[in-house]
Amino acid sequence: MEYLLEAFGDCIGLIFSLDREIYGIVGRSLAFSLTATLLATLFGVPIGFLVGTKRFRGKSGLLTVMNTLMALPTVVIGLLAYGLFSRRAPLGFLDLLFSPAAVIIGEFILSLPIIANLTVSAVQAVDPRAVLTAKSLGAGRTMVTWTILMEARFSLLAGIIAGFGRAISEVGSAMMLGGNIRFYTRTMTTAIALETSKGEFGFGLALGFFLLLMVFSMNILFHFLQMKGRRS
Amino acid sequence: MSEIGHTAQLELRNVTHRYDGKVVLDISRLSIERGKIYGVLGPNGSGKTTLLSIMNLLMPPTSGQLFFEGGPIQYEGGSRLEIQRSMAMTLQSPYLFNTTVEGNIAYGLRARGIPRKNRAAIIERALQQVGLRGFAKRRARELSGGETQLMAIARALVIDPKILFLDEPTANVDVGHIQQLEEVIAVINRDHGTTIVLTTHNLPQAYRLAHHVFPLFEGRLVASTMHNVFGGTIKATPGGPYFDTGKIQIWIPQECSSSPSHYISVNPGDIIVSKRPFASSARNRYEGAITQVIDQGGGVDLVVSAGETFRVQITEHSFRKLGLNVGSRIYVTFKASSAHLL
Repeated sequence: MEYLLEAFGDCIGLIFSLDREIYGIVGRSLAFSLTATLLATLFGVPIGFLVGTKRFRGKSGLLTVMNTLMALPTVVIGLLAYGLFSRRAPLGFLDLLFSPAAVIIGEFILSLPIIANLTVSAVQAVDPRAVLTAKSLGAGRTMVTWTILMEARFSLLAGIIAGFGRAISEVGSAMMLGGNIRFYTRTMTTAIALETSKGEFGFGLALGFFLLLMVFSMNILFHFLQMKGRRS
Repeated sequence: MSEIGHTAQLELRNVTHRYDGKVVLDISRLSIERGKIYGVLGPNGSGKTTLLSIMNLLMPPTSGQLFFEGGPIQYEGGSRLEIQRSMAMTLQSPYLFNTTVEGNIAYGLRARGIPRKNRAAIIERALQQVGLRGFAKRRARELSGGETQLMAIARALVIDPKILFLDEPTANVDVGHIQQLEEVIAVINRDHGTTIVLTTHNLPQAYRLAHHVFPLFEGRLVASTMHNVFGGTIKATPGGPYFDTGKIQIWIPQECSSSPSHYISVNPGDIIVSKRPFASSARNRYEGAITQVIDQGGGVDLVVSAGETFRVQITEHSFRKLGLNVGSRIYVTFKASSAHLL
């Protein structure tokens, strides 16, 4: 218990230390995760919408695959992407390995199935009368689509939050694709892994608390946005 | 329904619709005239909502053709959306978008690209018209059942539809709001000339509101059944129950003696016409005079004044054989079991 309290104290110390490296790591983690979440939203929401609202052959099979992808191990993604981005690999010419872009791609792949799947659930939960009402009031295809998304907005936001949570907390692919390079690709999770492997458990745990605090703060922000949306 | 030759505002020809292979709608011809109120009367599952959805172009029929102001409606790549935007529909249980009353009512205006600055006045006018003045900023989902229907009508009204479809507008409404809703419907039709097609399973309401009532049963229009509809009360006597219309007494089946119904109908095809009292076990017999003869092409409809006004269907052969004409004195006879309580 004392050990945990000490780590928590160190965490508070880190917050107020204004250490350039620590805040660099935090900023990078946020930047990578938010970029990956944004990209996963841009792709995942339309995919989820189409799968959720259209009827087509093989839909249930596709949904099973999409559900399976939600549980994709981060190391596997790291490994596969490593295989694609390493020098002799098909995408080696892009020179992405051990770059921030590679970390973002890894996090994007991990978030995408979560956001897409939760979008499927969100749009399927929208009352069918919403579509009927929209059409009966003269809405065209684009407006009907927008209406469905707006009616599902709180569930969609919950899906995006879950996608963000997956992106910011993963370590496997960030480590393999980013290489944990100081001041360049080091994120909070890779820093925690490094500190722990060096035997600096206390510091690693303090960083862990910091990460939790950050995720918690982001969730409060999202929750605030949801509540504001409900009230307005 | 219009006569052939007039240009109907909306017309259905040979329209059928199937769900899972089962025919749920089969309308050979239905014409809607501008500025009238039509009541589609029928029990649950009779196809009323399907008919309204097809008329509102929310879905194409399985077969058949719809015409709007004389022109055929094309569903793919045609003017469907444009025509649909000249109509509006409210559902039996209206869906309220998760926003304010104002946001809901503005929906149709946004769909039509009406600038934001012009919307407020239109919305306020519509709310005033349905008696919901001051409700604009309220959360839509906090409204009562009656207020919800009124708001749904206001939402449809702001787009100034040529035809307004109302699916069971008073089905989930408290008694206090029913009269208000009926008044609003009548006013919309009277003041704006809006054609209104409403569905209901409430017979008195259909006749109270609509210029034309057409009953729908198992997806088919069954116009004839509803011709002889009489209001009144059931009286029990040792000789059996009868229905007192205030003008005549109609014997009804024994099992109907405790029915709370205040309406009765007699199928025109169940009535026997004779020049002398017809000898049979039928208990209902009335003497009267023919006031109108309608050629139905293969059959003849007689309108007979016999205490109440009866509509009777007979074959052309019987009509000729009996030598009937307007003014002929005849007897109309039917069994107690032909009287159906509504």
